[in-house]
Amino acid sequence: MPSLPFTTWNPTAMPRSPIALGLIALLLFAAARLPAAPPSAAARQAGDAVLALVAEGDADMQAVALERVRDGDSLAGAWFTTEAAARLAGLSPDRQARLLVALADRGDPAALPAVRPLAVAADERVKLAAIALLGRLGEPADVPLLVEAVSQDGAVAAAARRGLIEIRASDAVRAAASAAAPATQAVLFDILADRRDRQALPLLAAAADGDPAGRAAAMRALARFGTARELDAMVRSFLQATGGERKAAETAIVAVCTTGSDAPAAAATLVAGYGRLDPALQEQLLPVLARVGGPGVMAIVDGMVAEPATRRQGLEALARWPDASVTERILAVHAATADPVEKQLMLNALIRIAPLPDNRLDDAGRLALLEQTFALCDRPEDRGRVIERANAIRTYEAFRFVAGFLDDPALAEAACLSIVELAHHRKLRDAHKPEFMAALDRVLATSQNPELIERATRYKAGQTWDRKRKS
Amino acid sequence: MADDPLAASFVALASYDWGGDPAPLKALDSAVAAATADANRRADLERRLLAVVGAAASRAAKDIACRHLRLIGSAMSVPALAEFLSDDDFAHMARFALERIDGPEAGEALRAALPAAAKHEIAIGIMSSLAARRDHAAVPVLAGLLIGPEPLAAAAALALGRIASPVAAAALVAAAPTSDTVAAAVADARIACGQSLLAAGDRAAAEPLFAAVSAAVGDTPTTRRNRSLRMAARGGLLDCLADA
Repeated sequence: MPSLPFTTWNPTAMPRSPIALGLIALLLFAAARLPAAPPSAAARQAGDAVLALVAEGDADMQAVALERVRDGDSLAGAWFTTEAAARLAGLSPDRQARLLVALADRGDPAALPAVRPLAVAADERVKLAAIALLGRLGEPADVPLLVEAVSQDGAVAAAARRGLIEIRASDAVRAAASAAAPATQAVLFDILADRRDRQALPLLAAAADGDPAGRAAAMRALARFGTARELDAMVRSFLQATGGERKAAETAIVAVCTTGSDAPAAAATLVAGYGRLDPALQEQLLPVLARVGGPGVMAIVDGMVAEPATRRQGLEALARWPDASVTERILAVHAATADPVEKQLMLNALIRIAPLPDNRLDDAGRLALLEQTFALCDRPEDRGRVIERANAIRTYEAFRFVAGFLDDPALAEAACLSIVELAHHRKLRDAHKPEFMAALDRVLATSQNPELIERATRYKAGQTWDRKRKS
Repeated sequence: MADDPLAASFVALASYDWGGDPAPLKALDSAVAAATADANRRADLERRLLAVVGAAASRAAKDIACRHLRLIGSAMSVPALAEFLSDDDFAHMARFALERIDGPEAGEALRAALPAAAKHEIAIGIMSSLAARRDHAAVPVLAGLLIGPEPLAAAAALALGRIASPVAAAALVAAAPTSDTVAAAVADARIACGQSLLAAGDRAAAEPLFAAVSAAVGDTPTTRRNRSLRMAARGGLLDCLADA
């Protein structure tokens, strides 16, 4: 049978010609812009009934009505959103607030024109609900109002902050952050970090490297989501800063290089940047590198320790290492050196890193290292610090290690601290209840620290203790 | 027998009791799952399972047979299962299978067994199965039970609520319960029926149900339950308006 000269139409086959695809796109575009069908008389009647209950119904009926406002299915369409929003002005403040919450849940931006004036209402409940709605449904034009609100106090500022984090207006938020006064800019930089707005990173990097007023806030934001690309600006910011700002800058750089989204690349950038600095600036930056750690920094530190002129600097860097991977190096230096300052420096480092979580050692291994460190201590204050650090190892064996020092007057208070810290963990405490109860009795009889006494009393009674409480 | 795991399963089933090793029955489980797509295999399995139901097998064995008949049973199974609809021990599992068997025969068997049920528990179970089948033909007999003894009237109301046909709705609207227990069941059934009808687009049948509940609880209910009923009823009335 000869084939037909035309193709049978297959409704399930996608057209391939650009002209056909373009026609389909044009039809969909036109359909989306057709005016919605007006509501029926019955729908209007239903809408009026719902809004009458919102305005005048008792609490139960109001809840029923607000559920219908919320649920777009039964009264769908922008016509009802506009109707409901238009009734806002005539309601009491508490009803206004509830209707605003329902309109926010409804998700239709047709409510915005009627809601905007309420964002500066006198009644705080209404203001908060309106600000929350602007955050959820607002447009770029709403950003200035939210920025103004974020500089107010208390709940309004908090609501505006949440709104600025949520609003779909990234360009406007970025522009506002760029132009804001310092106090507001600091808040907006934090908000850019909450929004994880990667397009804001160049703005933050420029601010970190610029005016002192904006530097600290920019660095705080960069600490949260900065990348290798911002690192040079962050280092320049660090080198310009002093005092508390410098400490915060150090923490920000360490965060980007250790927990950031591209931490290995950031660490490599840091090391490369260090190599380009003159020696005076390198000396300032080295402690930051030491806190980052890693093989690149280790190579620098090893080289410095090997040279008499830079040995002390290298050892100080080693003592700042972020993990216990340098334990053997530190032990070796401590054993080999006759310099008491170097010995103490290495001992301090061991006390700090021995109990750190480390993939190389289990809890028993960490406790063994801590006990080894204890044996290296000559001074009671160093032994006391070892005993205090032991509570980072949450095991029964660590408890027995520290409990053994309750009878030593020079070390008893440190032992009390660690016993109380270990007893804070209910699972551990309950698994060895008799021993913990006896030790807590000794704490109560021995300690002079009111907070430890209070905590011991609570743990003996099976209660918990909120670390945020002030004694 | 080692070459025919299914035959071995049926042998194991014949002597199976609760607490026994279910491993030998796995071949039967697999065969039933495979048979859902094969009419010939289904019929053969169904016959063999019915033999277990009719035999002097343990309750556990019959229980398992009924679970499988629920999946692959047909009109062929109805007579054998219907025989057990008044059995104190086995009525529940017989209904369990009949609820899912397609075709009018299963509904007819359940409806026929309802007036003959000697105990209220049996009758309530049958009404529940008729409701699960959304058996419209059962509505007249259920409507008649609305004025029966209290446990049966309450169960009949709830069954009508689940069947949710316009005729069931009319029966519920017309109901005039004389006890609090039946009144509570009728109110719940009216709301459930109304919501089902509204979801199906039948506003005209749903609206009187919500109106009846709203009238019964009044404008200032004092109990938590009546407040909830008022909210459900008034919400239903609003939805009826909106969907018009």
